[in-house]
Amino acid sequence: MTAAPASSPSYQGRASGNEDWAVTPARLEARSISKSFGGAFALKAVSVTFEPGEIHTLCGANGAGKSTLLKVMAGIHAPDSGELILNGDHLRGLTPRIAQKHGVYLVPQEPTLMGPLSALENLFVGIVPRGRLPFSVDWKAMERSAGRFFEQVGLDIDPRLPASELSIAQQQLLECARALAHSCNVIFFDEPTSPLTAHEADVLFGLMRQLRERDFTLAFISHRLDEVLAVSDRITVLRDATVVAGFDAGTATRAKLVEAMVGHAIADRQRRRRAAPDTETVLEVTGLSAPGRFSEIDFAVRKGEVLGLAGLVGSGRTEIAESIFGLRSATGRVVLGGKPFRHRSPAASIRKGLIYLPEDRGHNGVFANVELARNITAAVVPKLQRDGPLLRPAAEYEMAGHAAERTRVVAPSLHVPIKSLSGGNQQRAMFSRWLLAQPTVAIFDEPTRGVDVSAKEDIYQIIEAISDGGIAIVMISSELEELVFVCDRVIAIYEGRIVAEVAGEDITLEKLGTLAVGETAE
Amino acid sequence: MAVSQSLERMPATRGTSPQRASALRRLARRRELLLVILTLAVFLVTVAVNSGFGQGGYIAFMLADAMPLAILAVGQTIVCLVRGIDLSVAGTLGMVAVATGFLAQDYGSSVWLMLPLALGIGIGLGFVNGLFVVFARIPPIIVTLGTLIVYQGIQELICGSQTVQTLPPLYAKLGNGDFLPDIPYMLIPGVVVTSVVALLLWRTAWGRSLYAVGSSAEAAFRAGIRVNWVLISAYVVCGMLAGLGGLAFLVHYDSADSQSGLSTSINLSSIAAVLIGGTTLTGGKGGVVGSFIAALFLEVTTQAVIVLGVPQVWDQAAVGVLLLAAILVNRYQASGYSLRQALAGSRRRAPIEHGRAQ
Amino acid sequence: MNAATDTQARQLRGRRSGSDTRWVLSLVFILAAELVFFNLDVSSFWGGGWGSSVSMLGDGENFLFTSMIALGVMFVIFAGDIDLSVGAMSGFAGVMMAELHLGGMNIWLAVVVAVLVAALIGLIQGLVIAYFKLESLLVTLAGWFILQSAALAWEGAVPPAGFPGKFKSLLGTGTVAGSVPNQLVVFAVLALLATLIVHRTRFGRQLVLVGHNRDAAGYAGVRVSVTRVRAFVLSATFAAIAGMCIAATYNTADDNLGPTLLLPAITAVVLGGVDIFGGAGLVPGVIVASFILGWLTPGLLQDGVSDTWASIAIGVLLLGSLTVKGIADRGQGASLRDRLRGRFDTAAPSSPPTAPDTT
Repeated sequence: MTAAPASSPSYQGRASGNEDWAVTPARLEARSISKSFGGAFALKAVSVTFEPGEIHTLCGANGAGKSTLLKVMAGIHAPDSGELILNGDHLRGLTPRIAQKHGVYLVPQEPTLMGPLSALENLFVGIVPRGRLPFSVDWKAMERSAGRFFEQVGLDIDPRLPASELSIAQQQLLECARALAHSCNVIFFDEPTSPLTAHEADVLFGLMRQLRERDFTLAFISHRLDEVLAVSDRITVLRDATVVAGFDAGTATRAKLVEAMVGHAIADRQRRRRAAPDTETVLEVTGLSAPGRFSEIDFAVRKGEVLGLAGLVGSGRTEIAESIFGLRSATGRVVLGGKPFRHRSPAASIRKGLIYLPEDRGHNGVFANVELARNITAAVVPKLQRDGPLLRPAAEYEMAGHAAERTRVVAPSLHVPIKSLSGGNQQRAMFSRWLLAQPTVAIFDEPTRGVDVSAKEDIYQIIEAISDGGIAIVMISSELEELVFVCDRVIAIYEGRIVAEVAGEDITLEKLGTLAVGETAE
Repeated sequence: MAVSQSLERMPATRGTSPQRASALRRLARRRELLLVILTLAVFLVTVAVNSGFGQGGYIAFMLADAMPLAILAVGQTIVCLVRGIDLSVAGTLGMVAVATGFLAQDYGSSVWLMLPLALGIGIGLGFVNGLFVVFARIPPIIVTLGTLIVYQGIQELICGSQTVQTLPPLYAKLGNGDFLPDIPYMLIPGVVVTSVVALLLWRTAWGRSLYAVGSSAEAAFRAGIRVNWVLISAYVVCGMLAGLGGLAFLVHYDSADSQSGLSTSINLSSIAAVLIGGTTLTGGKGGVVGSFIAALFLEVTTQAVIVLGVPQVWDQAAVGVLLLAAILVNRYQASGYSLRQALAGSRRRAPIEHGRAQ
Repeated sequence: MNAATDTQARQLRGRRSGSDTRWVLSLVFILAAELVFFNLDVSSFWGGGWGSSVSMLGDGENFLFTSMIALGVMFVIFAGDIDLSVGAMSGFAGVMMAELHLGGMNIWLAVVVAVLVAALIGLIQGLVIAYFKLESLLVTLAGWFILQSAALAWEGAVPPAGFPGKFKSLLGTGTVAGSVPNQLVVFAVLALLATLIVHRTRFGRQLVLVGHNRDAAGYAGVRVSVTRVRAFVLSATFAAIAGMCIAATYNTADDNLGPTLLLPAITAVVLGGVDIFGGAGLVPGVIVASFILGWLTPGLLQDGVSDTWASIAIGVLLLGSLTVKGIADRGQGASLRDRLRGRFDTAAPSSPPTAPDTT
């Protein structure tokens, strides 16, 4: 009568109506796992063990390898080398489906639910309970089980709602319910709290604690150190694709975590000392609002200044930038170079010297199958050299070549499709694209996302160089360290509103960390 | 804590939204209901102008006439659910019509014998489509374009320069006769097909997996659904139904030639019927009942156009206009969801937005 | 790259070989093979002297208008859309021109008016698609139906016929210097224009970017909607010009021929290596492919093969060549799941990144 397949090894006594979720404890070990993507290492001989009855958190900076590790353990990526061992048995040839059969479920960072399908159906996709007739589906059984699972995770919705109409918090809980429906006893959460409010995060943690009491094996990735310290039983820190530290609940402190996450580099790296630029304001934003996204955004940026926008994913920073650039509508005033900028559009912005480097390089930045040179010139096509109406390819390639040189793009030639380059080089190419547009104001959204360490350094140098050259920069980043390092001023945005502004020496990790999560108190 | 009351009938997967939606919104969403009302409206208006339109015989004719299209539309719906399209249905229809037609004409074969043959040919042709889509990785529109050309060619070859003109009397009886006063035999296969397929879609794992694959092949794959198999099966079923449609065509028109299927633009009308019926090309949403009713709607409307005195040449334009209206409505519905989410003040957009409004 | 970039760029500029170029070269090879094959026992390419209608060049008058339509719809396909109305558009334009002429208008003026009106209709379709965010497949499908009816309605019971000799000769069956068909000249001009537009103008560059990734094009400051609309205008215009040639060739404006040319035209585009999702492809490929297809039927006919087999051959050729291409591109092409992700969607399919963002 239940939805759980009878052959699942992990559940005992899970008959209908039985509230006791006793599970078989599972100890999942990753031994010396290595994984690389196109030449860039995401994991280098990483060994971590996940024990039952524990919340084990993975910490690390972007690109450190946390998410990749969980994906490997959940069967989404195949490791290049290493072993996965579940209760003593080696797991081989994992796919997501097989991993689920073994009881391992990953709640992904972005829920992979099927929008038009109802919550009920999403719960059971792939394990639909059969009815009496040969191929039929037993809706009644589904509804009953669904009700139970939803209750267990605390999801209070009409199961008939299409999944696309649920809030992100609800979708995550639905994913958890799916994990339970699949009789999984090992549940991984990949950065679940980034898009959640504090309250929603608490609900999630409550659920995680309940699962822990019942001997589930839980792993959790988060950037929010306060959460990590409050919730975890064990913490493993990854940096640059390797494990660098492990802490038990009692022994971890914020300082130790930060040090492990960013390494001594941050201690060595001094904040650039710059005099506050005494120049004219090139970009001024007043009262910028878009209902449901952000409201009353006011700020100004001067020539040569680097202004950071700190905040969590989903706080609205990208939407603000897109509104200024002209990709979305918003009310309020934007003054560019002293002149009001109405009727904004990307083409108009670029013409006026305002550029925007999008956050999602893969979807909104690169033209994957297009050659490198054309990617670089993509934003300045109207300005390419011509004979009459015809373009001059030679001039174009030269221009692209010079631009690529300036940002140190490493590529076999200008003609290779950009997708064959590493993430870091692709991003360098994006920078060269936008620099070709000769901007006076540049907005960079997560400029070092998906980029290896050396490319990061290059990018910081580029940003430094161009701001020294007089370009005003707005930098959106979720990596507090880089905001600390690069910016002259930082504005913290929380749930669509500006909550604070810090400048100069006041910009510290601790300050930004608290501001980003909305705590304005010191 | 909410535990749902048992669902009585409609699954949520038709895109229903919670009860707080406005009445108008609910009506528009019940596309099938809206179409029935529209069909009746057109019918009644036309009858008011010309009472001959409402005669039993004429109604029976219209019902019978709409069935080949309806059957094709049901098959097309299945393929559209998985984000595909099948332009070759006219070719399959034509090939089956002439193949069975000549067998009937030359050997007097019984229509009941022709039925499995029609289905079998359709299954084979559909399977070819599925193979190319899945394994050769060619987009469905191109695959079915290619197979359309080939199937039509074979149809011409089968015909030579002849046409099917004389069929055993049973064929005509089934094609144009009534089994109840004013209810044609032709209606039976149409209704049966629609009901069976609707049941399959609603109540079998296969049917649900079609919706799953259509809404997100990636997520379906991760959930363990055998995406390739599902896709191929969609084209096979569509082909099978196109074969049945071919037999229906033969029986209804009591003839067949090398141009059957081509000349009546049934190909594109099947797509129009799918769209008007509420299924979108973006997959994961829709149903066959809507397509069936849409086929009836198209039939009544095109006939009404003639009866109302508009020159027959404009009947295709009428379909075109209706198609445009349907896609505008579909678009309005899709954007309505995201709009509502935005207005509801949910600061964090859910990552899934079906029909992503840009 | 660094300092070597400059040198490398200059060295490598000539070596633009990619899968697109390889495809075109394969097509040229196929075309050559076809010509040789069909001329092995047939008397000659030039037939009974230059310009004889028995020649293969002369066959051009049977397929060159298909090629013109193909060039037109190619613009739209480059941008990631599709235009199913082109066949009906050429028929409609032909009927319009003929009826205007019949009503007393000078034929050349009628030609100009018809082409302009067609462009206008293309503009309207493009605007509806871009600004109402509807799928181009469906809107142009509706457009097809509407134009077909309109053409039928306008021509009435009797298709207009009988055009001035000069017109028939210039756009139809006449030849230059007795050997090169005029239509070939018209086509050559259009082909050259199309090649330059797509590969050497700002508009063309942006058109292709839109086809590769509509979102990214928007972020890069391309005026996406304007670009797409322009493509629809071009496709309608080319279709109308083809319609003029059809009318001139057959001395009548029959609305029936046009729509049947849609499939061959799209086949030529796809066989020519243009990706149906947009972006990839070269115009010369389409040109060569249209000749391959165009000469296939008459060539087979001359060899005694019925034209039914010829059309089957076309379908097989299309599927076969794309299968080969799909397998060859397997490493680099989009996966099936990605292709499923969007077809003529309002949300354009964007190419996936190679390395997933590591977190």
